Amino acid sequence: MTTLIDKAQPDHQVEKGPDYPAPRYKRILGADRGTWIFWATIIILAALVLAPVIPTIYQSLIDRPLYEQGGLFTLQNFVNLFTEADFGIVALNTLVFAVLTTVLTLVIAVPLAIVVVRTNIPGRRIFGVSMQWPFFISSLILGFGWITMYGPAGFVSTEVRRLTGGVPWDLYTIPGMALTEAVALAPIAYLFCANALRNSDASLEGAAQTVGAGPFRILRSVVIPMLRPPVVYSFILVFSMSIETLSIPLLYGQPVGITVFSTFLYKNGLQSINPDYGILGAASVIILLVTVLLVAVQAKLLKDAKRFVSVRGKATRPRLLELGWLKWVFVVVITIYVIFGAAIPILGLVFRSFTKVFTPLLNPFESLTMDNYMRIIEFPVYLASIRNSLVVAAVGAVLVSLLATLAVIVARRSTFRYRRLIEYLALAPQAMPGLIIGIGLFWAFAFAPFGLGALIQGTLWAIIIGFGLRALPSAYGSISPAIMQIGEELDNAARVSGADWVRTFTRILGKLLTPAFIAAMILTFVVMLKEYSPAIFLGSAQTNVIGTTMLELWVQGNTGSVAALATIQIAITAAFVFVAGLLTRGKKDA
Amino acid sequence: MPDVVVTNLRKEFNGNTVLHEVSFTIKDGEFFTLLGPSGCGKSTTLACLAGLEKPTSGGITVGDTVFVDDKSRKFVPPEERDLGMVFQSYALWPHMTLFQNLAMPLNIRKVPKAEQKQLIHDALDKVGLAHLAKRYPHQLSGGQQQRVALARALVYSPKVLLLDEPLSNLDAKLREQARVWLKRLQSDLGITTVYVTHDQEEALAMSDRIAVMSNGHMMQIATPHEIYEQPATAEVAAFIGRSNFLDGTVVSIDGGTAKVRLEERGEVVNVAVRGISAAGEDVTVAFRPESVRLTASGEVPPEDAIILPVEILTTSYVGSRYEYDLKYGAKTLIVDSQKGALTGQANLVIPADAIRLYPRTDVISEELEELMAVTA
Repeated sequence: MTTLIDKAQPDHQVEKGPDYPAPRYKRILGADRGTWIFWATIIILAALVLAPVIPTIYQSLIDRPLYEQGGLFTLQNFVNLFTEADFGIVALNTLVFAVLTTVLTLVIAVPLAIVVVRTNIPGRRIFGVSMQWPFFISSLILGFGWITMYGPAGFVSTEVRRLTGGVPWDLYTIPGMALTEAVALAPIAYLFCANALRNSDASLEGAAQTVGAGPFRILRSVVIPMLRPPVVYSFILVFSMSIETLSIPLLYGQPVGITVFSTFLYKNGLQSINPDYGILGAASVIILLVTVLLVAVQAKLLKDAKRFVSVRGKATRPRLLELGWLKWVFVVVITIYVIFGAAIPILGLVFRSFTKVFTPLLNPFESLTMDNYMRIIEFPVYLASIRNSLVVAAVGAVLVSLLATLAVIVARRSTFRYRRLIEYLALAPQAMPGLIIGIGLFWAFAFAPFGLGALIQGTLWAIIIGFGLRALPSAYGSISPAIMQIGEELDNAARVSGADWVRTFTRILGKLLTPAFIAAMILTFVVMLKEYSPAIFLGSAQTNVIGTTMLELWVQGNTGSVAALATIQIAITAAFVFVAGLLTRGKKDA
Repeated sequence: MPDVVVTNLRKEFNGNTVLHEVSFTIKDGEFFTLLGPSGCGKSTTLACLAGLEKPTSGGITVGDTVFVDDKSRKFVPPEERDLGMVFQSYALWPHMTLFQNLAMPLNIRKVPKAEQKQLIHDALDKVGLAHLAKRYPHQLSGGQQQRVALARALVYSPKVLLLDEPLSNLDAKLREQARVWLKRLQSDLGITTVYVTHDQEEALAMSDRIAVMSNGHMMQIATPHEIYEQPATAEVAAFIGRSNFLDGTVVSIDGGTAKVRLEERGEVVNVAVRGISAAGEDVTVAFRPESVRLTASGEVPPEDAIILPVEILTTSYVGSRYEYDLKYGAKTLIVDSQKGALTGQANLVIPADAIRLYPRTDVISEELEELMAVTA
């Protein structure tokens, strides 16, 4: 698509008679519309992805805040980081926390996946469905729930103390943090293992059975070895997620002085009166390096793991293994995970939101109240945070899904030379912790030319950009498989019949991708409704979202209202998913 | 309607050359078939014609319009080429009715609505589906979808019609009917047509001319009759119809006849020479199973024919004739005969004009080698 084609000819030539010549498309500076869109897509993506990264790297290498004049390049920030700021201890804490979390997560998730997918325990469907709870509940809310029930003054702890005279656990330790985080992350690892198990070849097990292997023998020699790729992959995935997570370390570790990467940034960037931007930048760069490395390993592993999957037309349904009496043991263990890990803390939190005081020492039904909700409704700032969250999630869902769709189509269905790069850019935010996106964008806005930054800084747009960047990889990942289902001949047919790339997109691909686009919007909406960490740096008093407001109320000790806000967020998510499910189902029937 | 001229078309994928300097000219109104085994480059050639692939070098011209040109680095995108194309999977847009499918190219060409209606009706009528205009593609059978795809490719009267194995997804019976029907439609319309297929029967039955391709090379371009009766290379002979191959060496050449010693058992046979062969050259001798006769050992053979003594291995009745597997030296030959009762030793009678001679240096693809091993 290089040369100008006969400019003299009119744009669209229509003659009378049986001859209908092919259309002529306008070219601007020798490039057709499609090429302009390709470049626009890659420039937007690159700008979004690099906006937080470049100022962060720059800040880490200069000797004063980046908006001040005359910065000199230096490595002193990195030296200070390890000498003055005790970053070594922080790194060690992070490592211990991440390793412990990862191990606990796999200990919960792997047996669960095997038992639920491949054996005949009762209630398999319910267990499978209940593993989707983190879709609705953020780890921040789970943390509140756990503290409400199992914290030093929690409902369950108090009861245990009353009965036995002491509490045998302490949540505010690294193992306590890791256990909660593992409960929150287990469903992700479960999902990978369960998918691998579902796709595995039943005839392998049949073969083992015919040579006389019992169910445990089959599990040990056939099923478990096959799980190696998803287990290794989820190991890295969970590890990198626990390195960047903020919620649990902030709620548990901060009060007792256990600092990890994310809380280090939080403390130095937000809580200190005179933040050292150099140290903040240097720490961000080091954390970014770690997460980028981990995500690169993930991508490599995922590619390798795909080689294990033998794709066949119709998969034979794997047979379920009979576990005998042992299945009841597994049922009990899984039930404990679901009930004590997720159900009790969440229900406890919901219950907390309707009470004045929440303790077994006093019958909670006697202190029932709507005060917690009233406070949120009465204070405009709190109410505004709900509205802000909804606006951010709604606008963000539309914009992010549009951008993701465009990126997927250019990456997969164009002749653009840099289409692979588009895919990398769209997936890159995976490696960017929310706090670093927040800090980086904050600096980017401060640094942006022509006062552009000042226009965005402190507005909801800043939040939408930050949250949207975080949600982009999942939106991309949810649309990308859908386009593989659409035969390439469909776009080729459109091209030959006279549609240029843009028209093929609007008339054919765009239309056929609509269901995937809607699914991506639902997913992005939910993800962005739960998101909060970039807003810690990007938010202003007017642009608080539910998450940041909960944190604020928590610091004030206003746990009742935190519970109320959490309940509201869960309710909104559930209602949204329910309605969206009804609407999309109705569409399919039509 | 214009001629299609392809010159020195070359295509590389990641350093792999899949098309080697392919050239051909398609005449106005001709039914031109690109034939070859999978991976021979026929579909790539078609994609280059359509503009869906950008050739690495070479030129494509239709009438006065230059589609691809090296010198001016010109490349006309598919949407501006004014071609009609039918895809292997039909590629009907699933979210549109048949009417909407056909209306899209017309909308793009800004044809007035009333005229559109008429054109769409005419096109669907041509393929006998005018009554189904409001249906969606998934409500049609495979054969119907294929006809709609054709109607969609024809509705805007394109300059050239491109067909990419359009019949390969139909079942055998339907395919034969569609073949006849498609050929008749094409000659009624008189539209220049490029047809891609790996099915030699289809190619022989429908084409005005066939281009046989192999490994990205053009092997031969000729009428079906010529392709079958006078295959230009051993490869073409192997791919089109069945052939027996024997290795030999040219002993001497005398005018239009060469004496060739067959390597298998040392017989010297006389063969009409068309190419340039020198004495001492290694050659491949080819003949078709149906162009030879099998006689019992005792019978007296005709004068100028070549006689090879053979042993009958198996006989199979395949409907209208018998198929014999013969042992000649260490080689197995395949021969058709109307007589079914022959066993044991026999004579294979090859009329002189049934034999073709090819230089043995021919590059033969592995796939074809296998084919030859089966038939030879």
